[in-house]
Amino acid sequence: MSRDGWQLLGSLLAAALIAAVAIAVVTARLGPTSVAELDAQEERLRERIERREERQERRRELREQRREAREEARGRR
Amino acid sequence: MQTVTRGNPTEVKAVLATVALALGAYQLALIAVGYRRLRPSFLGARPATRAHRAVGDAIAALLVLTAFMCLAVFGVDGGLHAAAGAALLAVLAVKVAVVRWIPRAGRLLPPLGLAVFTLLALTWLTSAAGVLGDG
Repeated sequence: MSRDGWQLLGSLLAAALIAAVAIAVVTARLGPTSVAELDAQEERLRERIERREERQERRRELREQRREAREEARGRR
Repeated sequence: MQTVTRGNPTEVKAVLATVALALGAYQLALIAVGYRRLRPSFLGARPATRAHRAVGDAIAALLVLTAFMCLAVFGVDGGLHAAAGAALLAVLAVKVAVVRWIPRAGRLLPPLGLAVFTLLALTWLTSAAGVLGDG
């Protein structure tokens, strides 16, 4: 191939690279858009909320137990 | 359109418009080499001009596709975005006509090219920039 041909090829490859970088940057900025990925994201959020609720429930139970124990000890005295 | 874009027409449009804008900026560099305003050692004027033409064809296809998506999904809203987009396609059509069929009007190509890039940037700013800002 001639020198001009290589330069043309290089210019077109640079254009393809620019397009690929633009797609990657915009996609990263927008975040996932596939249905599977969005479902997984929703599932992770639901699990996080459930875990938080379980922790709150456990703390509430512990508080109840401590209060009952205190009241029992007071009754014995 | 919703099926083709899997329910993300706005996002797909933002990607296409951003690719067109990035390539548009590259086009300015290529044609500056083509007109010998820039003289890099690794690229001559003739291959730069030919690459400018090929990349320009790709950008034109991207813009027509993006405009079609925009009209199919959102219709005509009459705002600045619609006006800039319509003007962009009109100026682009004139530029293509000058390149292909009216070579003696070649001195109009630099201002037409700058107008295309300015209108492309304006169209992008009034739509895709907002989508990416929200992202």
